[in-house]
Amino acid sequence: MCQELGRHIRNAYNMVLHKFGEKLYSGLVSTMTFHLQEISISIEAAQGGLFLEELDRKWTDHNKALQMIRDILMYMDRTFIPNTHKTPVHELGLNLWRDNIIHSGKIQTRLLTTLLELILRERIGEVINRGLMRNIIKMLMDLGPSVYQEDFEKPFLEVSADFYRAESQKFIDCCDCGDYLKKAERRLNEEIERVSHYLDPKSEIKITNVVEKEMIENHMLRLVHMENSGLVNMLLDDKYEDLGRMYNLFRRVPNGLSTIRDVMTSHLRNTGKLLVTDPERLTDPVEFVQCLLNERDKYDKIINLAFNNDKSFQNALNSSFEFFINLNPRSPEFISLFVDDKLRKGLKGVSEEDVELVLDKVMTLFRYLQEKDVFEKYYKQHLAKRLLSGKTVSDDAERSLIVKLKTECGYQFTSKLEGMFTDMKTSQDTMQEFYAAHGAELGDGATLTVQVLTTGSWPTQPSVSCDLPAEMSALCEKFRSYYLGTHTGRRLTWQTNMGTADLKATFGKGQRHELNVSTYQMCVLVLFNNADRLSYKEIEQTTEIPSSDLKRCLQSLACVKGKNVLRKEPMSKDIGEEDAFFVNDKFTSKFYKVKIGTVVAQKESEPEKQETRQRVEEDRKPQIEAAIVRIMKSRRVLDHNNIITEVTKQLQSRFLANPGEIKKRMESLIERDFLERDTADRRLYRYLA
Amino acid sequence: MKKEDTVKLISAEGFEFVIDKKAAMVSQTIRNMLTSPGSFAETEHGEVTFPEISTVILEKICQYFYWSLQYASGKETEFHIEPELTLELMMAANYLHT
Repeated sequence: MCQELGRHIRNAYNMVLHKFGEKLYSGLVSTMTFHLQEISISIEAAQGGLFLEELDRKWTDHNKALQMIRDILMYMDRTFIPNTHKTPVHELGLNLWRDNIIHSGKIQTRLLTTLLELILRERIGEVINRGLMRNIIKMLMDLGPSVYQEDFEKPFLEVSADFYRAESQKFIDCCDCGDYLKKAERRLNEEIERVSHYLDPKSEIKITNVVEKEMIENHMLRLVHMENSGLVNMLLDDKYEDLGRMYNLFRRVPNGLSTIRDVMTSHLRNTGKLLVTDPERLTDPVEFVQCLLNERDKYDKIINLAFNNDKSFQNALNSSFEFFINLNPRSPEFISLFVDDKLRKGLKGVSEEDVELVLDKVMTLFRYLQEKDVFEKYYKQHLAKRLLSGKTVSDDAERSLIVKLKTECGYQFTSKLEGMFTDMKTSQDTMQEFYAAHGAELGDGATLTVQVLTTGSWPTQPSVSCDLPAEMSALCEKFRSYYLGTHTGRRLTWQTNMGTADLKATFGKGQRHELNVSTYQMCVLVLFNNADRLSYKEIEQTTEIPSSDLKRCLQSLACVKGKNVLRKEPMSKDIGEEDAFFVNDKFTSKFYKVKIGTVVAQKESEPEKQETRQRVEEDRKPQIEAAIVRIMKSRRVLDHNNIITEVTKQLQSRFLANPGEIKKRMESLIERDFLERDTADRRLYRYLA
Repeated sequence: MKKEDTVKLISAEGFEFVIDKKAAMVSQTIRNMLTSPGSFAETEHGEVTFPEISTVILEKICQYFYWSLQYASGKETEFHIEPELTLELMMAANYLHT
């Protein structure tokens, strides 16, 4: 027959009711203390591995007993104890356990040592009894946060720090960067898992901080700069996984990401600088730009796959590109040449979406340019050549790029370019009307196609004329009078250096070919209809083509293999003033149509480059002046430095304004009474309405 | 009423009141007795003896338990107590923590 609980409860109740609460309470304390001291001895006696088990078992018993005791002494707990401010029964039971067992001399040290030893063994790969660990740790947590922290957590963190310090030192001496990071990651995950299995969740952040500090933070620089396996090598070899791991680990420590970012930036700037100053690269502009695009794609991919699309890394990439692209003053010209190549042939047969992709990528490079007005100048030149030779692969692609440029730089940038397209279309219509009106009289002679170019929109060319062959000049006159008849008040000037001609030719053995040549070349070739031999001087006199152009023209007709429709004596490479020319009756070609034109856009020669640069500088002057006037009009009075700052800011989207040049423009505006200097303060300027 | 859902409360005179466990647990003291770890007569047989509570009082207490459950579920009626029972009832209530 079992005991009756009610009896105990009643007794306890009565004791408290009749003012024996004090006796009851102190009796509880002394009895429990005595009992616990006995338990303490039995736990201490446990051998080796059984120590923790014994502790666990006795703890479980104690808890059960405590609950029963509390049930029995419930009345005391809710009346006597609050009144006398004594510790409630359950808490009392825990405190007594803590004082007599956990903090008893022998048990305290032995417990900590055992726990730490088990954790160490698990760290080196052994399997330990996790359930038991969990119970013991939970016991410490139940006894109060200070017990858990003082009797376990603090020493645990210290020992762990020592452990990882030693381990990281060992690894870093023998591993390469990628392997080291793998190991660090593994250890970190291990600790997190450990916490989830048998430690207080609040310990997670503390232990991960320890691992991060010892394994990562302390060795950050050494890892990043490790020879043959560090960050730079990973970037060069596109090691996305390793880079991703580095990013995830380094983001946990202060300055981790900025370290990666800084090394990446300086590496990018260096490689970029080498790229744009490499003399070999500079011989092929299209290759040059393609390399830039490839480099950008490469880093885009790295940032996307490994660096979590981190905006700060994107910014670093952009600023690096902006830095080195502008180191080479020919970058704007080269980018335009790249586009030219693509629009002539590179994008042939490419789908619409892929075309858009390429153009968008070009735009990203365009944005990095500081001297966008230089790009505009070259682009205009190249576009003019493309349009006039009819050599553009896709009208849609051309227009698409114009739209992108307009979105980026505004209407001003592209208005002239659009004017060029309009002229082409208008010219087509004009030609149709011309032939409709005069077609009959022209009959079977040569056909003429005219493009009428509005002067402001097209790149300025020095207008040189040459003597056209009789049939052509008659035709041209007819067109001129037709056009001026319908458009009064306009002036037409023939640009003979920009035209092309298709000639049907029959050679010595009867070979027939259609030759596509420039206007100059046509003038030269047509002369041979009436003469077998012509000297350089004769040709020069009759055609009136300027000598440098004539030399180039003759060279392409006589000295280029596969295109030598003329024969030259002597057979030297260069054109001398004493040379004589003949039709090359032995001329052969696989193709019926032979192209001998020289109108392909090429990178400029040195003098041409100087000229373009000069023109750009000239064009900048009015822009600077306009900006100064705009600013002064709204501010009325402003000091020198602020004017410089504001003007630079306004013009930033087109080019980087030179402060010296700005000053010169201001002086000029003062001379023309737009501005005046303040009489008292020489650095202040005033707007004159 | 099923056996498992009931408890037996025994008065000083030996009267046995069989009521729902749910009703009996309105009293904290009885609840503790029934849910205490370890094996006791209370937990094993579902019986609690009250040698100090008379039958009349114990009966009133049982009524109170049921009234309390009803009140908790929304039926707000009054619980009438005969004046001569009040003193003993209060002492019992103190003990039973209810």
